Amino acid sequence: MHQTTSTASHPRGSLELVRRFFANVPLLAWFCGALVAVILERAVGLSMAQSLGMPRIPVLFGFLVFLKQPALIPGALGYVLLMNILPICITAKIGAPVFNLVSRILYKMPLVVTALVHLAVLYAVFHFWADVNAYRMIMLKMMLISILLTLSLNVINGYMGEFSCSHPGFMALGAYAASLFTVGLFVNDQLFGPAMMTSDYAVVFFPLGLFFTGLVSALGALVIAIPSFKTRGDYLAIISLAFTFIIKSVLENLEFLGGPRGLSGQPDWSSLPMVFIIVVFGVWVINNFVTSTMGKALNAVRDDEIAAEAMTVDTRKTKIIAFMFAAFWAGVAGGLFAHVLRFVNPSTFGIQKLAEVLAMVYFGGLNSVYGSIVGAVSISLLGEALRPLEILKWIIIPLLLILVMIFRPRGLISFKEFNIHNLLKPRG
Amino acid sequence: MPLLEVSNMSHNFGGLRAVNEYNLAIEPGQIVGLIGPNGAGKTTVFNLITGIYRPTEGRIVFNGQDVTGHAPNRIASLGLARTFQEMRLWRHMTVLEHVKMACYSKFTYGLAGAFLQTPKRIREEAEVEELAFASLKMFGVEQFASHWPTDLPYGAARRVEMARAAVTKPKLLFLDEPTVGMTPEEMLAMIEVVRKMHETLKPAVFLIEHRLKVVSELCHRVQTLVFGQVIAEGTPEEIQNNPKVIEAYLGEEKVVA
Amino acid sequence: MNLTFFFQNVVNALQWGSFYALIALGYSMVYSILMLFNFAHGDIFMVGTYIGFVLTTGLVALSAAGIVVLPNWLILVLTIVLAMLFTSCLGMLVERIGYRPLRGAPRASAAITGLMIGIILQTTVLSIMGAQRVLYPSLIPTTAYTVGGVSVTNIKIMIVFVSIALMIALHQFVQHSKWGMAMRAMAYDYAVVPLMGISINAIAALTFAIGSALAAVAGIMYGMAYPILDPSMGILFGWKSFVAAILGGRGSIMGACIAGFLIGFIEIFVATIFPSTLRDLIAYSIILFILVFRPHGLFGEPYSARLRL
Repeated sequence: MHQTTSTASHPRGSLELVRRFFANVPLLAWFCGALVAVILERAVGLSMAQSLGMPRIPVLFGFLVFLKQPALIPGALGYVLLMNILPICITAKIGAPVFNLVSRILYKMPLVVTALVHLAVLYAVFHFWADVNAYRMIMLKMMLISILLTLSLNVINGYMGEFSCSHPGFMALGAYAASLFTVGLFVNDQLFGPAMMTSDYAVVFFPLGLFFTGLVSALGALVIAIPSFKTRGDYLAIISLAFTFIIKSVLENLEFLGGPRGLSGQPDWSSLPMVFIIVVFGVWVINNFVTSTMGKALNAVRDDEIAAEAMTVDTRKTKIIAFMFAAFWAGVAGGLFAHVLRFVNPSTFGIQKLAEVLAMVYFGGLNSVYGSIVGAVSISLLGEALRPLEILKWIIIPLLLILVMIFRPRGLISFKEFNIHNLLKPRG
Repeated sequence: MPLLEVSNMSHNFGGLRAVNEYNLAIEPGQIVGLIGPNGAGKTTVFNLITGIYRPTEGRIVFNGQDVTGHAPNRIASLGLARTFQEMRLWRHMTVLEHVKMACYSKFTYGLAGAFLQTPKRIREEAEVEELAFASLKMFGVEQFASHWPTDLPYGAARRVEMARAAVTKPKLLFLDEPTVGMTPEEMLAMIEVVRKMHETLKPAVFLIEHRLKVVSELCHRVQTLVFGQVIAEGTPEEIQNNPKVIEAYLGEEKVVA
Repeated sequence: MNLTFFFQNVVNALQWGSFYALIALGYSMVYSILMLFNFAHGDIFMVGTYIGFVLTTGLVALSAAGIVVLPNWLILVLTIVLAMLFTSCLGMLVERIGYRPLRGAPRASAAITGLMIGIILQTTVLSIMGAQRVLYPSLIPTTAYTVGGVSVTNIKIMIVFVSIALMIALHQFVQHSKWGMAMRAMAYDYAVVPLMGISINAIAALTFAIGSALAAVAGIMYGMAYPILDPSMGILFGWKSFVAAILGGRGSIMGACIAGFLIGFIEIFVATIFPSTLRDLIAYSIILFILVFRPHGLFGEPYSARLRL
C-alpha cells in the first residue's frame, strides 16, 4: 500500500525538473499567486480576452472553448497562459523568499492563525474568480458542496469499509429539511403561507437551520446503523439502497412538500462565504474525527471487527456514530445544495446522484481527506469541462474511472493522512 | 479470591460438545498454561472467556464480577486483554495506532473531543501516545511505530500484538500460542519477552502453548485439555510426567520441540 | 377483491416476476462464482433488448422488402438465438475488460467499475438510438383467452413458460454438466478450480455469457409484452433484480428465481391495492423489513464477520 506515496517522488524527467524548480515554494505563495492572477483577470481579463479574439473571459480555463469553438483555441490557450499560469508561477517563484519568510513567521504562531491566514487568501481567490460570472459562482459552490458530500461518504465507505448507497437519501433529507425550514419560516410562499420571521439574520439562522437539518439526516441514518450491527457488506449495501429509494418515494408522495414537482423558492442564502465557511468547518471536523482514536476505531472495525472488540472498542457505538456523523454532513451538504439551486425535487436524489458521489469517493481515494478533495474537485471540474461534448461526457468520465480502478483500485490518493503541518510549513 | 474463576463452562457447536464442564481459577500474578493436541478446544476456551462466544452453560467471574455472556469489549475493558493465534492485526493501521486503539476505553473526551480539537482530547491523545510508545519499547518494536503490519517481520508482528494487548496494563493477559511458527531461537527470545513483561507489569497470564519448553519455562500451573475436557492439572513437572498427558500426546511431535 | 381479480393479478405477477427472476439469475451466478455483483447487468439486459429490437426490425424489413422472406416464428427464433449470442459476447467482453483486471482488488472497486460500464452502455445506446422511445415490432399477434374470468394472453403464457424452462435448464446444467460442476466448485472454493484443470477465466467468461444470454431472452420477451423501449429501462429492472438476487440469498440460484417472482408479486399487488405512486415505497419497505429480520436473505448463508466488501 505504500506505493501510493512513492509514485509522487519517482523521478520522471521534465516533470521532476518542474517539481524541483518549485520545491522551495510554500503553499502560501501558490495561494497568493492565484490571488494575483484572479485580480489581474478582473482588471484586464476582458480586454485581454477581446484582444485575443474572444468575446468574453473564458469561464473554465478555456476548456469549454476548446471543445465548443476550436477556432478560438490559440486565443484561449494564450489567455490561460497569460492570465492564469504565468501570473501564478511568476508570483510564486519570485515571491518565494518573501512568502517563505511570512510562512516562517506564521508557522511560529499557533496553527489556527496560520490556517486562518491561508484560508482567507484562498477565499479571496475563490471570491475574485467566481465573481466574473454566475456560471463560475454556481460551479464553485457545487464543487465545494461535493467536497463535503464526498468526504462524508468516505467516512462510511472508506474509513469504515462498508458500501453504503444511502447518501442520496441523507442528502435528500437534508435538502428538504433545510428547505422546509427556510421556505416555511422566512419566505412568503403559496405552500406555507407568509413569512413568519424576517430574513435579516440569515447569517445566524441559516447555519442554525443547517445544524438541525443535519440532525434530521443523522436520525434517518439510524435506519441503516442498527441493521449494521448484524450484517455487513452486500446486505447492508442493499439496505442502504432501499433506504435511498424509500426516501425518494416518500418525498414523491408527500403533497405538502410538492410531490414529484418538488419545492422551490428557497432564499438565496447559500452565498459563497457561507458555503465556504461551512464546508471548511465540515472538512475540519471530519478530519478531526478520523484522526482521533475514536475515529480510528472505524478502521479497526473495518479491518478486523473481532480484534477491535477484544481491544475494548465498542463496535456498536462506533458504527452508530459513523453512520450518524456521515449522514449529518450529507444532510448539511444537501441543505446547502438546495439553497444553491433554490429548487429541489425528489428525482435529483436517485441513482444518478449515487453514481456521482461514489465516483468521486473511489476516484479520489478511500480513507483519505486529500483523496476526497481531489476526487470531488476533479470529477466536478471534469464534468463541467466536458459539458460541450454532451452525451460523450458520460462515456469519457466512466472510462477514466474504470482506468483508475484498474490501476489504483483504492483510488488516486488512498490511505493518506491529512497533514496540515506539512502542508503549511515554509519550504526553505 | 481468584482473579478469574470459570465454573462448569460448556459449549456446543451445533451437536458437537466443544468444551465440557471446564473449570479454571487464576490468582493475580499467576501464569497458567493450557496445553493440548490440535482441535482440543483451547482457542474455544479463550473465545468463551473473552466473550466472543457465549457459553452454553457455566459461569465466568472476572475480578469479582459475573461476566458470563457479556460483550467482548466490556469484558476487555475490565482488564482482560488477549492476543490471537492468527495475529489479528489491522491491515491499514500503523503499529502505533494499533497500540493506541487498545486504550479505546480509557478515552473520556467523548464526542466533543472526537469532533473538535478540545484541550482534553489533545491531552488524552498525547498521554496515550506516550503509553503506547512505552509499551512498544517494552517489546522492542518501537522502531516500527509508523509501519503498517504488512511490512513487519513475523517476530515483530507477534510482539506488536503483545504490545497492543499489554498497553492497558491488564490484570489478566491471554496469550494464544505466542511462539507458533517460530524457530527455536525466536522462541527463546519470546520466552524472555514474556518473562520481562510479566516482571514489569505483573499481570496474571493465561497461555495456550503447543511447546512444553515454553510452558515449563514460564508457567506456575498447567492444564491439559483433550477433546474439550481437562484431563490433568498441576505444575509443569507433574504434567510432563503424567501418564494421561503422555498418552494424549502420543503421535504429536510438536510436544518435544 | 374477488377471486377472479386475484387470479388475474397472479397471472400478471407471474409474467412481471419472470423478468426479474431471469435478470436476477445473472447477478446471482456471477456472484456465486466471483464474489462480486455485476452492476452492469441491468444495462446488459437493456442492450440485449435493443439488440433484439434491431434484429427483429431488420429481419422484418428484409422480409417486407422481399429479400429474404421468413415466417414470423422463424424471425422470433432467429432473433432470440442471435440476440443471446451477441449479448453473451457483450457479457464476456465486460468481464474481460471490466472485471478480470480487478480480480485481486477490493470488491467495492469492481462494483464501481460495473456501475461505470453500465453508464457507458447506456450512453452508447442513447447516442445510437436517440433518446426517444422506440416501438418493438410485434411478431406474434396477441390472442387473449379467458379462463374462468381471468384473461390470459398467449404472450404471457409463453413468457412464463420460457422463463421457467430456462431456469430448469440452468439448474440441470449447473447440477449435472462438467462445466456446471466446475462452477459449483468455484463457488465453494475459488482456489480449487485450477487444480481441476479448468481455468478460472474460462469459467468466469462462461458465467457472464450464460447470465447475459438469459438477460437477452428476458429483454426480448419484455419487448414483446411491453413494446416500448427506452435506454433507462436497464436501471429500472437492473436494480430491482439486483435486490432480488440479494434477497434470495447470496449466490443462490433458486433463491434468485423465487425472490424475483416475489418482487414481481409485491409490485403487482401493491399497485392494485394502493395508488401506483406508492409502489416503490411499499416494495422497498417490505424488502428492507425482510433484510433487517433475515439479514442473509431467504436462502443465503448466515453472516460471517470475515466477509468484506
